[in-house]
Amino acid sequence: MAVASVTQAGIIGGHHAEPDQLYVETRELRVQGFLLFMVSDLVLFSSFIFAYLYLRSSGQGWPPPGAPKLDLALAAINSVVLFGSGATMHFALENWKHEKFMKFAGWIVATICLGALFLSGQIIEYAKLAVGWGTSGIFGTAFFTLTGMHGFHVFCGIIYLTILLLQCVHGKYTFQKYTGLTLGTLYWHFVDVIWVVLFSIFYLL
Amino acid sequence: MAVAAVHSGGIADHIHPEPQGFIRRYVFSLDHKIIGIQYIITSGIFLFLAGALAEMMRVQLMKANGGFMTPDTFNQVFTMHGSTMVWFMIIPLMTGGFGNLVMPIQIGARDVAFPWLNMIAFWIFPVAGLMLYASFLMGAPAAGWTEYPPMSLQGQAGTSMWCAAVFLVGVGSTMTGINFLVTILKMRAPGMTFTRMPLFVWGQFVTAPLLMIATTALGAALAALFIQREFGVPFFDPTKGGSPLLWQHMFWFYSHPAVYIMILPAFGILSEVIPTFARKPIFGYKMIAFSSCAIAILGFMVWAHHMFTSGMAPALQLPFMVLTMLIAIPTGVKIFSWTTTLFGGVLKFSTAMLYAVGFIALFTIGGVTGVFLAAVPFDLHAHGTYFIVAHFHYVIAGGSVMGALAGLYFWYPKMTGRLMDERLGKWSFWLYMIGMNGTFLPMHWLGLWGMPRRIAVYDPQFQTWNQIESAFSFVMTASIILTVINALVSMKYGKRSGPNPWGARTLEWMIPSPMPYYNFKHIPSVFSTPYDFGEPLPYRGLEEELTPTPPPVAAAH
Repeated sequence: MAVASVTQAGIIGGHHAEPDQLYVETRELRVQGFLLFMVSDLVLFSSFIFAYLYLRSSGQGWPPPGAPKLDLALAAINSVVLFGSGATMHFALENWKHEKFMKFAGWIVATICLGALFLSGQIIEYAKLAVGWGTSGIFGTAFFTLTGMHGFHVFCGIIYLTILLLQCVHGKYTFQKYTGLTLGTLYWHFVDVIWVVLFSIFYLL
Repeated sequence: MAVAAVHSGGIADHIHPEPQGFIRRYVFSLDHKIIGIQYIITSGIFLFLAGALAEMMRVQLMKANGGFMTPDTFNQVFTMHGSTMVWFMIIPLMTGGFGNLVMPIQIGARDVAFPWLNMIAFWIFPVAGLMLYASFLMGAPAAGWTEYPPMSLQGQAGTSMWCAAVFLVGVGSTMTGINFLVTILKMRAPGMTFTRMPLFVWGQFVTAPLLMIATTALGAALAALFIQREFGVPFFDPTKGGSPLLWQHMFWFYSHPAVYIMILPAFGILSEVIPTFARKPIFGYKMIAFSSCAIAILGFMVWAHHMFTSGMAPALQLPFMVLTMLIAIPTGVKIFSWTTTLFGGVLKFSTAMLYAVGFIALFTIGGVTGVFLAAVPFDLHAHGTYFIVAHFHYVIAGGSVMGALAGLYFWYPKMTGRLMDERLGKWSFWLYMIGMNGTFLPMHWLGLWGMPRRIAVYDPQFQTWNQIESAFSFVMTASIILTVINALVSMKYGKRSGPNPWGARTLEWMIPSPMPYYNFKHIPSVFSTPYDFGEPLPYRGLEEELTPTPPPVAAAH
């Protein structure tokens, strides 16, 4: 790894190799640490997904008697919104790398808006289901816990991206040093991927 | 030399000046060594609390009909004893404590990858501990440290507090796991390949992913229990479609690997102490390292052996039984390697070595009874009896705690620059051996005779043996108190140790004691494993470490 760093900073980076070495190494550590954080977060989701599949397979069949019907169309639209936000986040980071600040800002604002739209869709879905978390048996147990946890991750992501945007405006990141933006993008894609799994197991399975 | 040039301007050359204020230096410190000592002291306090709870139990059990406390209090006491010992004593001590203290130095780094995360992870731990003990004020949890529903659902308000406290301390453990994994993967000194790492580092390296993955799974289980208790969401309530067995699956998927979180670092400590005091290269370096990996991987596949009696699918019992028995193989490889290292060595029985050798004996007993319990027919007989209590106390009190004590006597001079008193140390060892065996050995046959665990009163025919156990348990407590006194007194009056009192060869012994803030003046290069006693040291670039020249401090910024 150390050798790879020297190639990056020393040969490609050329004249400013010395001051950048610290950045290159720190960036490696932070990206790897963040990936491991996402692994442990994935384990958190997996445990609840296991719980859902366990309850689902150990009882009265699925959906359990008396459970409300999920709205596949609404969820599909909502999914498209969230996947779209993944794409806009990708464009945001790419524009930052190409040193286009205004385009970057536009795309990240779009991401935040799409995220908020997704959350609104979730709230509409919850309102239409019109059952309580604790009172709707194992359906509510599994569905509200998992989608709620995911929704909370989206909510945190919106705040995260907003903070990143403000930091960019205040000049915390340069076009050469932007580890925080990379991590934010990773997080947002992670939340996207989790939704693919949740959508499949609740609406398609 | 190209390797050395790579690091110029990188993290390895990035030395901050040492902070001078008391708060930044000793309280909210970013220095891995101070944080390690903070962990050791804090887990020592929890050892004291949990030990006091254990003695309360032993006093209650001196009479068949009890009388010292109510059965309900007894339930709270053994629950808090187990919870404290597992999450607030052994795990923080073995990972946050000894891991922080020496792991970064052993790989030739200046600190862990994320010092801030390290500090936050530490400070979560005492806060969570306060929360745990606050649950006594609101009716402490009383369903055992495993908190099986439906009993945990009927528990008093403190059970929810217990969930929150253990969840929090788990968050801290996850942070430590991530931090250590990145540190070991990315921050090793030039030449420190994986097969040249000290075996204690291997222990931490294998433990870190367990901390990261298993603790998060436990977090999910605790969150589910908390949600059910506070919001009535029926995860574990069969009348509403939930399943109490689900808790057992979620809980043991964590808590079986947690056993290895507690023991793998102790294996690492043994692998440092034994070759040092046998003056011999460790036998089977690679086998010890790889068997740790095998144990960690197998550890995720055996959780249901805790559930043979709970009505799981019988078809699953056989695979879980076989997988569990397989763990005995990598564990046996280690025992074999250590005994072979001892064989023909020039043994020097310092206190650390005594504890290490005692570990081999007692842990083997615990390991063998573990194989008994893996066999389904035997487990059906012994489950829920004192045999289980005997088994896991041999593994934890005879294994992990002995390993920790070996580590304490071994690395104490590195922390303070002074040696612990050897005479008191040997007294503490023999008292511990006698007390530990006297307390837990009779539990084997009491269990086989059918004495159920976790009950405040029992059949009078078992009273004599229980009185013997209680008497010996005070011997064990005396031993621990002796070690604590030894540590406190030696801090001021101990003999000066110099940098390397044991003639050990890992990197932490190449720098002054107590260890300087920046660890190394220059990051060394590594050429071989650290266990080749009799050969020249496998390091280059350490010439100035023990001279009084000042370290190269980068400009503050």
